[in-house]
Amino acid sequence: MILSKYPYVVQKEILDNMNCSQLLMLSFVSKNMKKLIKSSQKNKFENINVIDYNCRTMSDLRNVHIPFNGKYEPVMYFSNNEPNRNGTFQLEVSGKMIDFQIHQRHNVLEICGYDRDKESVTESIHNYFLEFFGSSTKFNWIVMDIKEGLNHSFPNLRNVSLCVDLTCKKKLVEIEKLETFFSSSPVFNYIGLELKPSPQPCSPQSKFYQAESILVKHTSPNILRHFEGKQAYIQCDKWETSEDLIKLLNMWKSGKALQMLERLTVDILHGKVLKNEIFNKIGAKYIDATKQPPVHTLPQAYIEGYFFGPPNTIPITSHTYVVRQSDNRVASIHIAYNKMITFGVWDKTEEEFLKLVD
Amino acid sequence: MSSTEQGTSSAAPAEPTTAPESAAAPEVPESFYYVHGKDKVVHKVSAGALQHSALIHGMISNLGYTEEQAKANPFPFENIDGDILQMVVDWCNQHKGKPTPPEDTNLPKQKEKLFDLVLAVNYLEIKELLTYCCKQVAMMVKGKSPEEIREIWMIPTDAEDEAAEKEAKKRAGKEAAGETAAAAGDAK
Repeated sequence: MILSKYPYVVQKEILDNMNCSQLLMLSFVSKNMKKLIKSSQKNKFENINVIDYNCRTMSDLRNVHIPFNGKYEPVMYFSNNEPNRNGTFQLEVSGKMIDFQIHQRHNVLEICGYDRDKESVTESIHNYFLEFFGSSTKFNWIVMDIKEGLNHSFPNLRNVSLCVDLTCKKKLVEIEKLETFFSSSPVFNYIGLELKPSPQPCSPQSKFYQAESILVKHTSPNILRHFEGKQAYIQCDKWETSEDLIKLLNMWKSGKALQMLERLTVDILHGKVLKNEIFNKIGAKYIDATKQPPVHTLPQAYIEGYFFGPPNTIPITSHTYVVRQSDNRVASIHIAYNKMITFGVWDKTEEEFLKLVD
Repeated sequence: MSSTEQGTSSAAPAEPTTAPESAAAPEVPESFYYVHGKDKVVHKVSAGALQHSALIHGMISNLGYTEEQAKANPFPFENIDGDILQMVVDWCNQHKGKPTPPEDTNLPKQKEKLFDLVLAVNYLEIKELLTYCCKQVAMMVKGKSPEEIREIWMIPTDAEDEAAEKEAKKRAGKEAAGETAAAAGDAK
């Protein structure tokens, strides 16, 4: 079977039926094949929102996955084992010869002897991905468990944002250490923070507040006063007063805080909020109860790939909304069971928003 | 030309199946057409089955042939091997008037047969069958190393591609020089 004898439409149809890991494998066969893949699969590659680098440690890759078409597709694995099977082969990756084998379970490329030269291998692989999938592709460097502490840095690679889960329940991590860690790292796409006892808020300039998406447990709404990102989920253990939340939402209303916010969820574990008190104190407005309000949902800024959460935020359908004074933008607000507050900011003025009401 | 009417193969009904009688709608008799491949063996296929092929459907839609005319004028597909055309006809008959399933496991497993089937199906513009075939071709290299893929799909190496490109340039240069010389000769 000579693939090149097929007309372009057939070659394209064959490539359309291959997933990203197979296309990546095929791209190493020849320069012309790589060119054909890049030109015929342009649309597919443009629809890749992000490539996930799942790490063992801050500087150590475990595998690469692509969330695509509702699947979390494995693309490459990294093994520290030296090549010792018959099936190993070498490939030139961005000018560097790297040892590979086929991953036995997933049938994708697996790098052998990664820790021999991991910085340089990581850089070559990243450069190849940028060139193959497109230079505007975004990457998440995901570290779900920082075992080695906060002193390690992660490699500085183009288009890569850091996603970290700082779940340090058993260890007391001083806020100074966290601050140093945040300031020494580049852009954060996601920070998950679960510290006991609950941390004091960071300094207003901290990079923590610049993360696109955060999840903080054992905290209070105060932690969000300086948040400049888009999506936040906080979980509060105790709930004695709604004042902090009311203050925060009024700061959003006046345009003094949370200007980039798209979506906020406040989850209360113990205690309840007084729904009407909150609505009164933030000057909430109401859509006619007989009408159907518009549904607020948007793509999640960060999806935990391994558990593959839903691609979009949980929809908010609420008759209650508030309007930001500075630009007349609307946010839907919903309080479920007096325990979970969801707040979704629309890219619409009040007038435009009310046109969406059925 | 031998006309053996092989289209009435085991998988294909020889005559149109009779639909349950309906008092309201009078039954329209199904029309049949005839096709042959390189081996000149003629296959009788119903218009319903041929609807899968955009090429043939386009050809027959305005013909208005009678049964005799259709029989006397089989569509010749000289570029398609007889056994491959038989496979295509069988597939069209099996999937006549039915929604196509997401997978088709009855495609040939041998590389060369599948290769010829893809070319035929692409020529006849049978979209669903082309998709199945291309999926099967793609599956052939699943879990294979780049070198194994090269062998299966006979993909030239970079060096072979460069050599072929050089050769093509050389040939094009020679042809251009030949044309210039011929034009100069004509001018004299």
